[in-house]
Amino acid sequence: MFDPGRPLSGVRVADLTMIWAGPYAAKILADQGAEVIKIESPRAWDNIRTLLPPPVAPGEHWWNTNFYLHEYSRNKKSLTLDLASDEGKTVFARLLEHCDVVIENYRTDVMDNLGLTYEWLKEQKEDIIVVGMAGFGKTGPEKDAVGYGPIIEMMSGMTSTSGYGDDGVPYKSGISYGDPIAGICASAAVATALVQRKRTGKGQYIDLAQREVMSTLLGEFYMDWSMNQRLPEHMGTGHDWMAPHNVYPCAGDDDWIAICVRTDAEWEGLKRAMGSPDWAERTEFSDQILRWEHRSQLDELVGGWTAASSKIDLFAALHVEQIPSSPVWKMLELQREPHLKARGFYEPLRHPEVGIWSVHGWLWRADGAGPCIVAPAPDFGQHNAEILGGLLEMSEDDQSALEAAGVTATRPEGVPLASEMPPTPSML
Amino acid sequence: MSEHEQDPPDIALPYEGVRVLELAEGISGPYAGRWLAALGADVIKIERTTGDPSRAFGPWPDDLPDDETSGLFLYLNGDKRSITLNLETSDGREILRELAASAEIVIESFEPGYLAERGLGYDELSNDHPALVMLSITPFGQSGPNANLPATELTLYASCGQMWITGHPDRSPLKNGGSQPSYQAGLNAFSALAGAYYGAVMHDQGSYIDLSVQETYAAMAEAFHNRAAQLGIETQRSGNNLNALWGVYELSDGYGGICALPRNYPAFANAVGLPELQEERFSDPGQRLINNDELMALMFGWFIGQTRQGLMELGIEHRVPFGYVATFEDLANSEHLHSRDFFAQHDDDRAGSLTYPGRLWLSSGHDWKMGRAPLLGEHNMEIIHGELGYEREDLVRLRELDAI
Repeated sequence: MFDPGRPLSGVRVADLTMIWAGPYAAKILADQGAEVIKIESPRAWDNIRTLLPPPVAPGEHWWNTNFYLHEYSRNKKSLTLDLASDEGKTVFARLLEHCDVVIENYRTDVMDNLGLTYEWLKEQKEDIIVVGMAGFGKTGPEKDAVGYGPIIEMMSGMTSTSGYGDDGVPYKSGISYGDPIAGICASAAVATALVQRKRTGKGQYIDLAQREVMSTLLGEFYMDWSMNQRLPEHMGTGHDWMAPHNVYPCAGDDDWIAICVRTDAEWEGLKRAMGSPDWAERTEFSDQILRWEHRSQLDELVGGWTAASSKIDLFAALHVEQIPSSPVWKMLELQREPHLKARGFYEPLRHPEVGIWSVHGWLWRADGAGPCIVAPAPDFGQHNAEILGGLLEMSEDDQSALEAAGVTATRPEGVPLASEMPPTPSML
Repeated sequence: MSEHEQDPPDIALPYEGVRVLELAEGISGPYAGRWLAALGADVIKIERTTGDPSRAFGPWPDDLPDDETSGLFLYLNGDKRSITLNLETSDGREILRELAASAEIVIESFEPGYLAERGLGYDELSNDHPALVMLSITPFGQSGPNANLPATELTLYASCGQMWITGHPDRSPLKNGGSQPSYQAGLNAFSALAGAYYGAVMHDQGSYIDLSVQETYAAMAEAFHNRAAQLGIETQRSGNNLNALWGVYELSDGYGGICALPRNYPAFANAVGLPELQEERFSDPGQRLINNDELMALMFGWFIGQTRQGLMELGIEHRVPFGYVATFEDLANSEHLHSRDFFAQHDDDRAGSLTYPGRLWLSSGHDWKMGRAPLLGEHNMEIIHGELGYEREDLVRLRELDAI
């Protein structure tokens, strides 16, 4: 029975990715039904497991529990395998015969250093699809540069577009924006390569540079440079023709609401929502162009209205009038945000050592799909026996020998239990 | 016959022969269609008779507004064909139905309910065509209390939690530049369509997908939402500096910065070379966070003495995650990007010589088309007359009825 939410069922992915960009890609594949096997070495695991030490990561086996890991690696399986060892590589070669896709976001040179070149991978599985997600790509004079999301954002032109406008300072996005963007694109690259493989019978190598993907989200700025040799001005929360168009302070602790008016009709609606104040009838606010010219004055007056009420009440009044608006939702508020809640965007995730909390479910929802979350992120090495004994039909003795040789493990090497650790400050 | 000739044919473009109807305007849907077209799909852009409103957004060459030279439109619509259809007319709806019968994929961005109310929803279009993949892309999705609320990039950025954590802690929340809510949703839509189309090819069964701009962006709230969900801890804006080794600093010739995880510290300390960095109060990961303010002061002092290019070279030499705030001038002249054939370049009759991002990735298995965007209704005759078989006189009548 075809599950419209899981069009990639039947696809098996060897996931060598770490931190965010790569795991985000593999998460999308797993959510869509691919069997994603997250492969980590007993000595070089996904750094996200241990980035946030206890008490931030709860439970005794804290490398299995932190919230970061669970959002990016839910719905995956875990196999530990030391790919730097000959035994590990032999097992990996056998696993590859059963895989459709290999995905990695290492530094440019790491796969080659491990001997895991595209040529070698292809020898194990002729039609394998391989995706490398190095920040700057696998070729070119800057290929050896390294960078996480904000570096990618800076080097793509993105950061140069953001800022308040009055101090000349460029601002990064609040998140490491380059990472998920590269991840989404890599998931599209995998699906595209699967389509092509279905038609030609051939696999391919994909060199996906995170910086280049981010650059494609800035088309109009590249065009303005090309057409007019002009660089963008920082717009803050303003706009080049709309007014009002800003975030306004509300009653409450650091509470804000975004309000935009695009047309005269919306301006009439905003006036009604504000209770038709006399100042709104002034001639300097009587059309779009005048409102934009007098936007500072207008922002102050609208801000005077918003400051007296809660963002929830303001949004209710603006919603009635169909004015583009939204409270600036905080992180703790998002899960209870009525619209996302009504759509069931967040789903419960259960882990035996942590309990239940909620993470986002479907990025997009196919009609007829069931819940997105099938399993939490796997414990380190949780599926070793299932994959080695089941899929690869290795004997229990052979599996034990691998573990004894340190090729597989169920605990990252040298990482103490939570009860053995002194308290450590968190990075966040 | 040689063995080689028995191999399946090489298909240089993965979506060659796949027909896509793009009933989407602005940025998000067209961005997704743009890459399907560049990868070989026959993307028919169905525009309202006055054109996709993005034709009215700049930039334009020399700032002269013209529906056929909008930089935004040209970038987002390369390699597509354009026809005009007025779906308020029965002829317009009929032509759309005929086209949908020959399409594998439909992308639409109307207000929720619009197409279904006109008998053009997924149920109707897929009735004799179960393998059809259709994706709706709207600000808040097809259901829920905000489904029909109008939105802008600013209100979407606020609605998904991103704005709360962007900007300086002592100032108002900030929006990042451009139209990121729409663009990132378009990228998600591209992935959704690629996956769903693969499913349709494998199972001969399509799907209908509801994509919300708010949800796709809320999904990337990073650790900040996850932490709130698991531990109940709120996040405050941290501006450009999450901590001393994760942020943007002023340089001698612009801005740049570092994003280092604990494992990058030894390489970082060697690259910077300041003796203090070897002291335990900084080299120990725990103490480093306790002494963050002191380290940050040290970093402000060090970065202001660096140049953008110098920082980049130092990063490459020592494998340290340094970078600089590149401008579009830097990028347009980047030897690295040109060496990877990242840009599409061609002479457009009306808009002149243009250079813009031309692809998403490099592949050993396929190429990318990098063609021009269509004029409004440029392919009315080719498609409605040539492919659907309407007579030339019909086209005149359809035009008089304001159907095309």
